[in-house]
Amino acid sequence: MKADVEIQVTPMLDMAFQLLTFFIMTFRPAPAEGQFAMNLLPSQPATRMDAPISSDVTSTEVPAGLRTLPTTLRAVEGGRLGRITLGEVDIQSMDQLKKELKDILSHRDEYPFDQALLKVDPKLKYSELMQVVEVFSSLNVTKISFAELDPNAEGG
Amino acid sequence: MATPMSGEVRAEPNLTPLLDVVFQLITFFMLCISFSQDTIDQRVRLPVASSARPVEASKAGEDRLVLNVDRYGRLLFNGQMYDTEGAIHQIDIQAQLVRLSAKVSGVKLNEAEGLPTVVVIRADRDTPFSQWHRLVTACQDKGFRKFALKTMTAPS
Repeated sequence: MKADVEIQVTPMLDMAFQLLTFFIMTFRPAPAEGQFAMNLLPSQPATRMDAPISSDVTSTEVPAGLRTLPTTLRAVEGGRLGRITLGEVDIQSMDQLKKELKDILSHRDEYPFDQALLKVDPKLKYSELMQVVEVFSSLNVTKISFAELDPNAEGG
Repeated sequence: MATPMSGEVRAEPNLTPLLDVVFQLITFFMLCISFSQDTIDQRVRLPVASSARPVEASKAGEDRLVLNVDRYGRLLFNGQMYDTEGAIHQIDIQAQLVRLSAKVSGVKLNEAEGLPTVVVIRADRDTPFSQWHRLVTACQDKGFRKFALKTMTAPS
């Protein structure tokens, strides 16, 4: 006499729904995040005119100080970005910053810049700073050093 | 289909396919769930940068040190909150751990190139630059050179 063994699926389904409810309640999708990969250099002083001449006079390599593009970021009330100075040029908008930077980087023979020094107002908010970093990063300038700007000093 | 003696016809739904689908859903949520809150701290509201790139799959396995920085410049690390002094101390500990790990595994570190660990900075959009810069400088002083600045790719 053969006896059929029937597996009760209903309790198993109940348990499965319990587990599913738990995982649905604890599921929290992470917000989409991106990143800017950077090589942040320690801030270096620009080469001074009265700096001693290097002993290696045969080297044709441009000193780091001369390969560094200085950029000044000043903040206004509330930590928002006020004035941007790229080299000696005052910038009015991010689009102009991108245009000027692109122009400078396209003339490598005249301007051998491959890294940037951002002198930043201590009160500037991080979100404002990231707008500028985004522009530099979009033009493949990832060697950036930062320095705090003296808010009382004019001209940066 | 069971046919009782009274002649009634009972319809019993087949629960096996339903159970299969439920198990598929459970497996999906199990793979997506993440209990670790350390790397994504909801107290930090990232700035928005549309051109930020997602983490490359090839670099997903590299050693990363995630630093969450709140709007006041305090470091949120390992479930604790640290002021500037405490943050510098924690960064020093992490740098020592990286060097120790390299020594144990026989990897020779090139101090000129810096430590191989990527410092992932998740800073709040309202963090003042001065606070952020102090942490970055502390990281650079301890030998970290590679950084990844996290942003959101779209407003939440």
